[in-house]
Amino acid sequence: MITFDGVTKRYPDGTVAVDNLRLEVPTGEITVLVGPSGCGKTTSLRMINRMIDATEGRILLDGVDVKTIDPPTLRRGIGYVIQQAGLFPHRKIVDNVATVPYLLGWDRRKARGRAMELLERVGLDPGMAGRYPFQLSGGQQQRVGVARALAADPPVLLMDEPFSAVDPVVRASLQEELLRLQAELNKTIVFVTHDIDEAVKLGDRVAVLRVGGHLAQLADPPTLLARPADDFVAEFLGRDRGIRRLSFVSDEGLRLRADLTVPVSTDVSALRGTAEPWLAVVDADDRPLGWVAVGDLPESGTLAGIRLAPYGSFVSGRDSLRGALDATLLSPSGGAIAVDDSGRVRGVATREALDEALDRVAGGARA
Amino acid sequence: MREEPLIRWDWIGRNWPGIQALLEDHVVMALVPVVVGLLIALPLGLAGVRWRRLYQPTVGAVNVIYSLPSLAVFIVLIPVTGLATRTTVMVPLTFYAMAVLIPAVVDGLTSVPDHVRQSAVAMGFTPLRRLLRVELPIAVPVVLAGLRVAAVSSISLVSVGALVGRGGLGYLFIDGWQRQFYTPIIVGIVLVVILAGIVDALLVLAQRLLTPWARARGTS
Repeated sequence: MITFDGVTKRYPDGTVAVDNLRLEVPTGEITVLVGPSGCGKTTSLRMINRMIDATEGRILLDGVDVKTIDPPTLRRGIGYVIQQAGLFPHRKIVDNVATVPYLLGWDRRKARGRAMELLERVGLDPGMAGRYPFQLSGGQQQRVGVARALAADPPVLLMDEPFSAVDPVVRASLQEELLRLQAELNKTIVFVTHDIDEAVKLGDRVAVLRVGGHLAQLADPPTLLARPADDFVAEFLGRDRGIRRLSFVSDEGLRLRADLTVPVSTDVSALRGTAEPWLAVVDADDRPLGWVAVGDLPESGTLAGIRLAPYGSFVSGRDSLRGALDATLLSPSGGAIAVDDSGRVRGVATREALDEALDRVAGGARA
Repeated sequence: MREEPLIRWDWIGRNWPGIQALLEDHVVMALVPVVVGLLIALPLGLAGVRWRRLYQPTVGAVNVIYSLPSLAVFIVLIPVTGLATRTTVMVPLTFYAMAVLIPAVVDGLTSVPDHVRQSAVAMGFTPLRRLLRVELPIAVPVVLAGLRVAAVSSISLVSVGALVGRGGLGYLFIDGWQRQFYTPIIVGIVLVVILAGIVDALLVLAQRLLTPWARARGTS
């Protein structure tokens, strides 16, 4: 656990970067520090490994004041990932990753072995080990940066806007990768970003800081989105808070109807007289094909010859209510098709079912 | 009467041992100042980066020396270091090398990207180790580029020393000019150019070998 105990950073010219910060970073969780520029988030992060020393207050690492530890020793025990990766351009990838093991005096072979293991772990081809940083893309460099931070297996990882210099697609995949790694490794991670969406996506808990280094709110993402502490936090969270909050609501309570699907081989005559205006058509493997309007059915033949209306689907039990809502907006029938992990249809969530679920969410926000 | 040829090859053959001695003298007088200049420029450059206020006065002082005509400096030095000695030639050349190399060292060290320096700190490098393992190696391409300029200009400048009696291959220019005999002049020019070319090529090779990581960045 990392404890900020009344930490203040004041510069000689009187600027206060961090003001009496009290914060606990629980072991094994991702705590995100987020805020506009000038809110002291990076300063706070760098006070943990003493790249910046606090003016007042203490920072405790599992109860030990970091000021009592010699900085290089302290830093070798804490992983650090910097914006733009900060790889050493003159060292091969494998040696970049092995940096901290070398500093700790491991023998070369063991350090390199460990580095190779980590390259694989962060999803890089071991064939890249012998290359130099300039031969890698920005996203690959950032993966190397993460591998380097993990090399000596530190319990704590500090990440300073690590994904902000890569394009949105790569950023999303790096974020997924981090969550996957964290599920395996359970590190205590302090993650700094100015991007609230990134904060909400990655954080177990999010600390919103305001300019001048004040903690505005500390909460888990659903709480933050549902109940911002004040106008500053609400404004910083931006638009669509309600919709975004749905990402954290499981679709488990969503009522699914199994009676709205028909196989594509069905003869139209069998469907005449059906009370439902729309039916979801599935193929022989139960995968969704589209919607058919019962009123527009031709005189004869099977469903195979008919032009189907588009559909939206979500992975039941894996996606959130946001995914289900998105799926209903993609089909003219208003129904969201729920599929399982292998893409087979499990049922249809109608508008009415979604309404019930959304009502429960809105009720939860009120409570 | 047969016209005097541009080059009398037999003269070269007869005087080869003497030419060789001049060449050796030239190499020593040109390159020792570059090496010594580099050894002095490294600590001064480091100091210039560490204490920024020191940098401009240092460069200013060295540039003033650089602006002095070499011949004048040779003449001024004669009472101190003697006429026709290697030292008289090498002392000013050392300053000239420094004038090129101090900014090269400073530029090299400041070419280390801030995020690289920061990450070295965050990994737990001690300041000395960071300098030796991260900052100086990254400065190498820029320093080597400066070294190429310093070496080639030093090789060219040694010749001026001939006017104070010690100019390596420069002696051949004086000799040829005094006798209105072109062969030594041409031999001197060709050898100086070849020497400069070889030294430059060796430095480029050293750069390729030392900094394979810099090849794609256009620093060669």
